[in-house]
Amino acid sequence: MGAELFDLRPALAPLVSAICAGLVMLVGYRPGWRAGLALAAPVLKFGVVWSMLPGALAGTTYRISFGEVLPGLAFAFRVDALGLFFALVSSTLWIAATVYALAYMRGRPGQQRFFGFFALCVSTTVGIAFAENLMTLFVFYELLTVCTYPLLMHDGGLRVRRAGRRYLVYTLSGGALILAGMLLVWHLAGTLSLAGNGILSGVDSRPALLAVFVMLTAGFGVKAAIMPLHAWLPSAMVAPVPVSALLHAVAVVKAGAFGLLRVIYNVFGVDLMRELGYAQVLGAVAGATIILASIVALRQQRLKPLLAWSTISQLSYIVLAASLLTPAAAVAAIIHLANQAFAKITLFFAVGAIERGTGKTRIDELDGIGYRMPLVMGAFTVASLSFIGVPLLAGFITKWYLSLGALEAGAGGYVALLAVSALLNAMYWLPILYRAFFRRPESPAPVRPVSLMMRLPTLVCAIYVVILGIGAEAPAMPFVLAESAVRFAFGMHGVAP
Amino acid sequence: MVPLVFLLPLAAAALLPALFGARPRLAWYAALAVALATTVAAAVVAGALPAAGELRYAVGGWAAPLGIELRFDRIAAVTVAFGAVTALAITFSRTLTDSVPRPVLFYTLVLVNLGGLNGFALAADLFNLFVFMELLSVSAYALVAATRQPGAALAAIKYLLPGAVSSLLVLFAIGVLFALTGSLNMADVGARLAGVEAPAAVALALGALTVGFLVKAALFPLHFWLPDAHSAAPGPVSALLSALVVKVGVLGLLRTFELFGAAAGPGLLRLETLLTVLGAVAVVAGAVAAVVQHELKRMLAYSTVSNIGYIVLGLGLATTASVAGSIAHVFYHGLTKAGLFLAAAALVDRTGLHDIDDLRGLGHRMPWSATALSAGMIAVAGVPPTAGFVGKWQIALGALEGGRPLPVTVLLVTVVLGGALLALAYGIRVINALFFRAPTHHRVVAAREAPLSMLVPLVVLIGLALSAGLSGAAVIEFVRPVAEAFVGR
Repeated sequence: MGAELFDLRPALAPLVSAICAGLVMLVGYRPGWRAGLALAAPVLKFGVVWSMLPGALAGTTYRISFGEVLPGLAFAFRVDALGLFFALVSSTLWIAATVYALAYMRGRPGQQRFFGFFALCVSTTVGIAFAENLMTLFVFYELLTVCTYPLLMHDGGLRVRRAGRRYLVYTLSGGALILAGMLLVWHLAGTLSLAGNGILSGVDSRPALLAVFVMLTAGFGVKAAIMPLHAWLPSAMVAPVPVSALLHAVAVVKAGAFGLLRVIYNVFGVDLMRELGYAQVLGAVAGATIILASIVALRQQRLKPLLAWSTISQLSYIVLAASLLTPAAAVAAIIHLANQAFAKITLFFAVGAIERGTGKTRIDELDGIGYRMPLVMGAFTVASLSFIGVPLLAGFITKWYLSLGALEAGAGGYVALLAVSALLNAMYWLPILYRAFFRRPESPAPVRPVSLMMRLPTLVCAIYVVILGIGAEAPAMPFVLAESAVRFAFGMHGVAP
Repeated sequence: MVPLVFLLPLAAAALLPALFGARPRLAWYAALAVALATTVAAAVVAGALPAAGELRYAVGGWAAPLGIELRFDRIAAVTVAFGAVTALAITFSRTLTDSVPRPVLFYTLVLVNLGGLNGFALAADLFNLFVFMELLSVSAYALVAATRQPGAALAAIKYLLPGAVSSLLVLFAIGVLFALTGSLNMADVGARLAGVEAPAAVALALGALTVGFLVKAALFPLHFWLPDAHSAAPGPVSALLSALVVKVGVLGLLRTFELFGAAAGPGLLRLETLLTVLGAVAVVAGAVAAVVQHELKRMLAYSTVSNIGYIVLGLGLATTASVAGSIAHVFYHGLTKAGLFLAAAALVDRTGLHDIDDLRGLGHRMPWSATALSAGMIAVAGVPPTAGFVGKWQIALGALEGGRPLPVTVLLVTVVLGGALLALAYGIRVINALFFRAPTHHRVVAAREAPLSMLVPLVVLIGLALSAGLSGAAVIEFVRPVAEAFVGR
């Protein structure tokens, strides 16, 4: 490991966007200011986060600490490889999503509040990524719940309120479980630091460890939408498209998955997890989620719920990979944070653009849409092929490493499971592509022109899916970060797995 | 400097009606200045504490146990918060002159209340403890009725009767103790109690003191007077009552345990179990009652019942962590609840509407007050790193540390976390109504944001409530010696 460096930037990254968010709330009644500030939040943060990349690649760890909330427990940030990877993914996507949202929300009421909270969510996500200890992570994790709630509730109405209530009941109960688990970890280990690889390794009380594992995985599992804790996600699709795209398919669920990775790699540590064997149960649950969610997705008639169920299925790839506890699988877990995010956001952007352009939300209304919105549907095609696992696209990389990891762990059954999952994915993505490109519409409805600010982010994210698929090993790509995170978690030195 | 902490407000209270009887605005400035000066005095003394350990002051130069003694220890450092919250409440009541018939008298009573609070925290002998308790109680009864609206007088009477009974109990206990030991100085009484061979009488005194203070603290099921009193009182008074005055019961309880520490070992142990049970029940009962309330201020009042439950639970668990957490929670909850009641008062007073459902949509008309109230709701639930978090975390930790049987431990931790979740539930109800529902009442549509004199104190308090948790370690370290003494009896 390289040096630990005191640096302002880990705190600056969440702070700049929080300041922008505050300004949006204050002066955002003027559209120009609002747009500028809403965009400044992710761009500035992106700059700060990227500026730490060279140092992190060289092995430096940046950290900064604030007041102690409890004796020995500071409010602190620390940038390690895993955190930086997550922060890079979310800050890159946030720029695209903000540009998209500015166009999508144009002319709707309540934009000041919307963009204020939208920008605030950037802060909280980076706060989660850079949290030095579980408590700091929990603060931002809960803050993310609080900040997404107004976004989810944006359109108002009975259905939305119900979805909002369900969202809160699920996520806050999960939060309470995490808090209880944290309390127990603190009691057992006397620290909540995420800087090591296994703070619980000195504890030998099995029942207590089991309790911690159950509470923390169930708590984070709510946002990671592991079955049977997933029910909030499909109902949260009532939110405006940019919110569904960014929060309920990327930031919120990724926060849950990221939390799980932290629990497995940093709180328990790989060695202890292997010894305890709880991970196998988690893996089985994740495997079941992958298949079941895909089966439910098959039966969806509307695009957004289909995407939601596909998200549930894809997230469990991360959980499954993490629970295999082999280096190759860990690489899959970490890079799938990025792969799933870029592909899924592309799909959401495309669906939003279709909704804006034609008003269509059902799958059987999409006949011939590929010729009328070629750019958008092209991006859609790339992303959905990535989910099926077509080589040269991002999803393939995940599946490759995940299969390697499963074989390494002696769990060949999961390779078969991945094959089944790929088949199921093909069964619900390919019919859409068939309708879009190979069927003629019965009555060609007029397509309203969709703003370039919506089409461009869609295209950029699709290109990213390709780049992640073919250029993952390129020197400037964050793939190296994933490798170094894995090396740290497994205590390995030298070459990548 | 020590006597100034309570003499300043009391002397000013005596002078205020004489000097500014007909000029409420000047009286407001004077009262505010006095409250601020008191805060500064308390802060200066408290600043000297870490070096000095404990400051004792013999009034008139007559040494204890014969003379009257004042004692500024780490518990008494809470007077800084008493002064600060009172100053902010006075700031808030600048425009209250419209609804209160005799504003100068109102400011006077607030200062008497502050003097009583500070005196109670500083008193080192039982008699003065009682006198100051009466001083602050009587001023509180009067303040509840200050608006002279229908209902206010009734609420004041409802408050007065249990209050008087509890005062009687305390006085009775003091009488018994004096008969047993022949002394009133607390340290002296404590030392002499060890040699008293009358377990029944000691237990009687202990019981009477405990029950008396628990009524003052409004611990469930002795809380019945609180919701009426706290919701009927004018806004700033509710803040004072809920944030500060109920804490007197907790301080009294701490003093009681200190007093009987050497004398009644096993009896105290049983008392601790009782406090644990009552505290846990109060946490849940208060929170559940808060969830089902329709009126905003009643809901906040029940939230206080729940939080008092936390404090008593922490004391009952009797580990260093939990007792330190309880004492910290006295301070943190005071900040948060004062802010909440001020924010609620701003909303309620500006619209004249009391029901949460009637306040729908007000978030868009009064963004500052409504946002402050919402943020305060999250802080009172104890989401880290807000002020509510530190105490609850420490109390939960105490539940884990006690070495109790597993089911009991699990139950206690569940209670602590469940209370917090319920607090979030009623908080979210308010947030939903304020921001995510369409207005149903015409007065909401016509409402305008509160004046600056109201906004500044409530924003300051809520800002503190949101960020004060970051100073948690310092506060816990500050009260740790008290907690260690409490546990190490």
